[in-house]
Formats: sequence, structure tokens, C-alpha cells
Amino acid sequence: MIEGKNHILKILEGVKLALDEKNYIKLKNLSNESIEHASIHQDPDVISITVLIYALSKLIEREKDCKENCQPSESWSLFFRKFKNNIIDMTAALQKDNSEKFRNEVKANRQLLENVSGKLKEYISDVFQKARINKASKMYEQGISMGKTASILGISIWELAEYTGSKPEEISITVTLPISKRLQLTKELFEL
Amino acid sequence: MKYLIFDAGPLINFSMNGLLPMLEKLKKEFKGQFIITKEVKREIIDVPLGIKKYELEALRLQDAFNKKIIQHADLTEKEIDELRLIRDRLMQVANNTFKTKKGYLHLIDKGESAALALSILMKKKFKENIPLVVDERTTRMLVENPDNLKKYFERKFNAQINVNKKNYQEFAEFKIIRSTELAYVIWKKNLLEIKDSRALEAMVYALKFHGCSITDGEIEEMKRLVR
Repeated sequence: MIEGKNHILKILEGVKLALDEKNYIKLKNLSNESIEHASIHQDPDVISITVLIYALSKLIEREKDCKENCQPSESWSLFFRKFKNNIIDMTAALQKDNSEKFRNEVKANRQLLENVSGKLKEYISDVFQKARINKASKMYEQGISMGKTASILGISIWELAEYTGSKPEEISITVTLPISKRLQLTKELFEL
Repeated sequence: MKYLIFDAGPLINFSMNGLLPMLEKLKKEFKGQFIITKEVKREIIDVPLGIKKYELEALRLQDAFNKKIIQHADLTEKEIDELRLIRDRLMQVANNTFKTKKGYLHLIDKGESAALALSILMKKKFKENIPLVVDERTTRMLVENPDNLKKYFERKFNAQINVNKKNYQEFAEFKIIRSTELAYVIWKKNLLEIKDSRALEAMVYALKFHGCSITDGEIEEMKRLVR
């Protein structure tokens, strides 16, 4: 049984609609919704879905650019169609409570990328890696540690530090010790 | 002998900001050892050696490791086994402290837990509290103000969080500084050799923008305090 099945189903239903409309903004929002679930359950398959929804939103957003720069539209359309069918199969498996089939579909989704070749593969890999980093930064923002987040999303702390640093957050409750005390501790350590 | 334990974040941050040469100077000023765990070595050297974008930085950190600017703690086999047990216990406790309606939040990983565990082990060995350098927010909040971490989660998840407050005591003794406080030492001792009043603020912001959890308010306060 997949934890939070109803939530995932709701997200996947939304994804299907957004794909039909090629509405990448809706996809981005759905991905942001599912990261909260991913932060709590940390189920690798749900995390994969979260990443793929975000990657999909980016692929649609940049579809024109991709078609022009990396691939004949045939390969692109085929990839996109398979992707969509895969989401439909994932949803069906979940609806039938078939967690094994669901996990196989998530795996199949990852393999879709393996079967693409040439520049399109490079392009899609790049989009997926950026999607992983983006989702990791959201998870870190929610309070999961940097090490844990990097390990869950399969990226390095270097990538995460670079990205989160570019989007620093300002919440006063994160100040846990007055800076004067921390500086005092530092002075004592270095005998300043 | 004095010791300072480094988490991965501050070393990555120093490296990304071209401040690694400062680490050697800092160590001389510290007159002790800069210690890392094997988990941190993996994150700062072994993993990035396989990523072209970070390979050069990893080589520089490897060089610092080879020169013992950063090093592993000198532990016996028995102590290493004990370290592993403490690490796993801390991770287990931390990850069973904050609970949402849907389950416990798994907050920290082996790397952060191992750094904390090493501090406990060395305290036991040397009867002294060994401080840590940690840039990331979650571990620091767990140690210094877990109630604020609870509030933080409640705000982020927009839900009530239940806590096992008895777990707080496991983390209450650690002392933490960040890469930004090390920047203060660099500035104070003029190790950067840049005679410009903006050097401290520039360093601190550079570290903030590469992952050190510090607010603008704290930076302003720091500037005011050192004036």
C-alpha cells in the first residue's frame, strides 16, 4: 500500500489534465504540492514523481526551444506521448491498489529517459538533474537537513548548497543564538 | 590538544568561495586540529571527485586532507564502533522527535549525525566539549532551539507538529559556530590580507550565498558588534 495514496492520485489526475492542456504552470504547482508529501513520507517513488512532474513542466515550458535545438520533433513527440501514457498507467495501478505495478510504472518512467538518444537525451537529463536540485531546495526549505535532502534526491551537497545559497531565506525564528554569543564562543576558541 | 569538528557544508562553502587557503591559516591560529568524519570526507572529496563541475574543488580539499589541514580523528577500532552506535542512535532520536499527522519527520542523515556523534565521543575521551562548525539550518536549530524548529515546521507544513520533548536533551550540549564566524576570525586576524573595511561583510555574504544559514539581521548585528 502506498502511503498517502489519495494525495498522489489527486496529483496524478491533475497532471493528466495539465498535460492535455500543456499547462506547465499548473504542473509546477502540482509538483510543489507533492513535495510536502515527499518531505514527510520520503518514499523514493513519490519523490521520483515529484521530480518528474517538475521536469515535465520545464520540458513543456521549453518545448519550442528543445525542438529547435536538439531534436527532430518526432522523437520529442514520441517521448512526450510515452510519458503521458506512463502517467495514465501509474494512476490506474494506484486506483487498483496495485503498489507493485505502480512502482514498476515509476521505474518504467525512469527508463523512458534511458531509451532516448542523442542531444534530446542530454537535454532531458539536464532538465531532470535541475528538477532534482530544485525539489531538493524546496525540501531543505521545509526543514529537512541538507545531508538528508541531498541523499533523498540523489544529488550532492555541493549542488544543493549552490542552489539554496542563491535563494536565502529570511525567517527570524531560524536565529537560535544571539550573534554576540556565537562570536564570543568563536573568540574563546581562537583566543582572540 | 584543541579540536574543532567540521560538517561538510562549511568546507564546501570555503572551497566554493576560494577561501580554502584561509583554512590552513585558521588552523595555525587555532593551534589544534580540524577534524572530519569519514561521512564528511565522502561528501567533500570522494563524491565531488566524480562530478566534473566540482572535481577541482575536491582535489583542493583532498590536498588539504593529505596535508592534514583537515583530518580524521585519531580513534581506535573500538571507538569507531562506538561512534557508529552513537551516530545511529542520534539519527534515530532526531528522526523520531517531530511528528506530523502523517508520520515522523526524518530530519537528519548520517553525515550530520556522525559529526554530532564525534563530538560526544571526543567529549567522553577528553572530558571537554568539542565544538562543531555547521552551516546548515536544521541541525543547528535542533541543537540550539528545537522549539523554534517545531514552529518552523508548523509554518512550512501549515499543520500542527507534535514533539517528543524528552528527545531535546540528546542535542542540548553541542556548541556550534558557522563558516561566517570563521570569516570573522579571518578578518580580525587580517588573514585575508585585504585592507578594506568591506572585506568582512563581503566574505560573510559570499558564505551566506553558498549555503550558510545566517540572516541579514545577524549580519547587520555582526557588523555593528565589530565596529
